[in-house]
Amino acid sequence: MAITAAEEAPAVLFGTAPAVAATIYPTRLRLAHVLVGVAFLLVAATLSVLIGPADLPAGGVIKYLLSKLPFVHLHSGLSTTGSIVVWQLRMPRMVLGGLVGAMLAVAGASYQGVFANPLADPYLLGIASGAGAGATIVIVEGPALGHLPQSALPPAAFIGGVIAVAATFALGRARAADRSAASMLLAGVAVSAFFVAVQTFLMQRSSPGDLTLVYGWILGGLSTAGWGQVGLVLPYVAVAAAMLFACRRLLDVLTIGDEEATSVGVRASHVRLVVILAATLGTAAAVSVSGLIGFVGIIVPHTIRLIAGPSYRRIIPLSLLFGAGFLILADIFARTVLSPGEVPLGVVTAFLGAPFFLVVLRQAKRLG
Amino acid sequence: MKRPRATIAFVIACSLFATCGVSSASPALGGAVDRPAATSPAFPVSVKSGDGTVRIASRPERILCLSPSATQMLYEIGAGSQVVGVDEYSTWPANAPRTKFSGDETNAEDYLYLKPDLVIFAYPSGTMIQQLQKLKIPVLLLSAATTIANVDSQLAELGTATGHVSGAKNVESSFAADIASAVRTAGGHGRGATYYIELDPTNYYTATSGTFIGAEFSLFGMRDIADGAGHGSEYPQISPEYILKEDPDYVFLADTVCCGANAETFARRPGFGVLNAVHLHHVIGVNDSVASQWGPHTMETFVSLLARVLRQGASS
Repeated sequence: MAITAAEEAPAVLFGTAPAVAATIYPTRLRLAHVLVGVAFLLVAATLSVLIGPADLPAGGVIKYLLSKLPFVHLHSGLSTTGSIVVWQLRMPRMVLGGLVGAMLAVAGASYQGVFANPLADPYLLGIASGAGAGATIVIVEGPALGHLPQSALPPAAFIGGVIAVAATFALGRARAADRSAASMLLAGVAVSAFFVAVQTFLMQRSSPGDLTLVYGWILGGLSTAGWGQVGLVLPYVAVAAAMLFACRRLLDVLTIGDEEATSVGVRASHVRLVVILAATLGTAAAVSVSGLIGFVGIIVPHTIRLIAGPSYRRIIPLSLLFGAGFLILADIFARTVLSPGEVPLGVVTAFLGAPFFLVVLRQAKRLG
Repeated sequence: MKRPRATIAFVIACSLFATCGVSSASPALGGAVDRPAATSPAFPVSVKSGDGTVRIASRPERILCLSPSATQMLYEIGAGSQVVGVDEYSTWPANAPRTKFSGDETNAEDYLYLKPDLVIFAYPSGTMIQQLQKLKIPVLLLSAATTIANVDSQLAELGTATGHVSGAKNVESSFAADIASAVRTAGGHGRGATYYIELDPTNYYTATSGTFIGAEFSLFGMRDIADGAGHGSEYPQISPEYILKEDPDYVFLADTVCCGANAETFARRPGFGVLNAVHLHHVIGVNDSVASQWGPHTMETFVSLLARVLRQGASS
C-alpha cells in the first residue's frame, strides 16, 4: 500500500506536526462512481414525489415542481389538494428521508473508520439507547412532567442521544488516558446497557398505548415529515457531513493504527474526538425526527466498500449519495407495499437491507 | 403521555406482530353506580371464556376485574358489591375499588392478597391464566368486542358468571334502547358521511369499521376511510397523504389524553389545513378510551355524542 501525502486535509487540527496527514490507498474518488450515485439519488427522489396513495398524474407533479423554479410558468393541472400533497407531504418527506439516510450512512462509515470495526454503526456509542430513553421519558412520563407536548419528543431524543455519547466519551476517557478505540467501545456498551435499562423500566411501567407510541418511535418513520423538520435537521446534517467529509483522508490514516498514525503526524485521539462529535450531532438530529432506523449505517458503507474499494475518500462522499437514495427508496416501499397503509421504515430497511447486503457480499466473494 | 389502559393495545396485538366526551370527561364519567342485585341462578354454572368454557362452582363474592369494559358491565348489571378490585384503568364507575394492577402482571401471587374467587381479563397476560387455574381460581377472559352483539353476549356471560342473569338482560335491553334512541336523534344525518378516527398522531394508527368503535359509526351509516387499508389488520397505520386524498367529512381524535391532540394541532399538520373536516369544524376530540373500552357506559356516551355531532354537522 502506497502512502502519499495528503494535500488539503485539516491535519493541523489533529497533530502538532505540520500537515503531514497521509492516505493509505492510492484511490481517488472516481467521477463514474459519483455520477452513478447522483443518478441513483435522482431516480429515488423522483420516484418518491411521483408515487403515493393520492394517485396524482406524473406529468402534473413534474410540471408543478418545475413551476416552483424561478422564471418557469407551467400549469400543472393539479388540484389544490394535489398541490399540497406534493409540496407539503411528499417533498419534505423525500428531503427528510434523504437527509436522514445520508447522515446515518456517512456516520456509520465514519464510525467504522474511527473504530476500525466493520460492525460499527451510528448507534455504537449509545445514541440509540440515549435517544430512545429520552423519547420514552416524554411519552411515558409526559403527564408527570407537566404534560409535555408531542413536539417535546424530538428535542428529548436529541438530548438523550447526545448525553449518552457524552457519557460514553467521559467513561472511555476515564478508563484510558489515550481514549483508545477499545475503551470507547466498552464504554459504549456499558452506557447503552444503562440507557436501555432506563427505557425498559419505563416501558415496563407504561400502558399498552404508551408502548405502541414507544415502539412506533423505535421502529422509525417519516410519516409526520414537514418542512419544519427539514429545517430543524438540515443545519446539523450539513455541518456534520461537511466535517466528516473533511476528515475522510484522516480516516484512511487511522486504518494503519493509532501509533502509526501518530508517527505520520496525526493524533488519532483528536481525529476520533472530532469524528465522533460530528457523527453524534448529525445522527442525534436525524434520529430525533425519524426514530431509530437501523441498518442504513452498516449496509450502505459496506456495499460501497465492496464496490468502490476501502478508501474513505470514496466511502464518505458516496455514502452521502447512496445513503440518501437508499432511505428514500426504502420509504417509498414503506408507504406503498401496504398502501394506503404504512409499514414502519425501520422494518423496511432491515427487511430489504439484510438480503440485499448478503447478495452484494456473495457477489463480491465470487468476483474476488 | 399516559394513555388509558388499552387505547392501542389492539394495535400492538393486531398490527404487529371510551367513556367519551369532547376532550374532557363527560359528566357521567365519574358517576357512582349502585344498582340493586338481581336474581341468582343456580350454581355451578359454565360460561364461555376466550376460546373455551369456565366452570364456576358458586356465586363469586370477591371478583378481581382487570378489564375496564368488564368493570362497567359488572356495575351495570348489579354485581358491583361483589367486586373487590379493579385495574388502574377502570375509571368508571368512580366508586369501583381501583388497584395499581394493570392486567399485565406476570405473577399470580400478586393478586392473592385480595383473595379473589373470580378474575376477569380482557387480554391474556403470559401464563397468568394457567397460574390462576393451578390456584383453583376461575378466570374469565372477555376479549375485545368487535360488534354490538359481542357486547350483549359478554353482558350475558357476566350475568351468568356472577349470578345476575336478569340484571344483565335489563342492561342489554336498556343498552339497545339507548343506542336506538341516539340513532333516531341523528335523524339519518351521517348516512354516507366519511370519517377518520385517529389513535396516534405520530404514526397515524386508526381503526376500521371491523372494530367495536367502527361498529358505532356504522350504526349511523358512516363510512370509515381506513376500510381496506388494513390488509388484515383492523388497526392499520395509514399515510397522511391517504387522509388528504380521502378528505373525510369527520375526524375524531382519540389521542387527546395520550398525546394532547386537538382540532388546532390537527389543522396545523402539514397539508391538513385544507381538509373538509377542518373547514367545517368537524374535528372532534374525544377521550382516548372510546377506542379501547367497549363497556355499555362508554359506548352509550360515545354514540350519544356522535348523534349530537352529526345533527349539529348537518345544520352547520
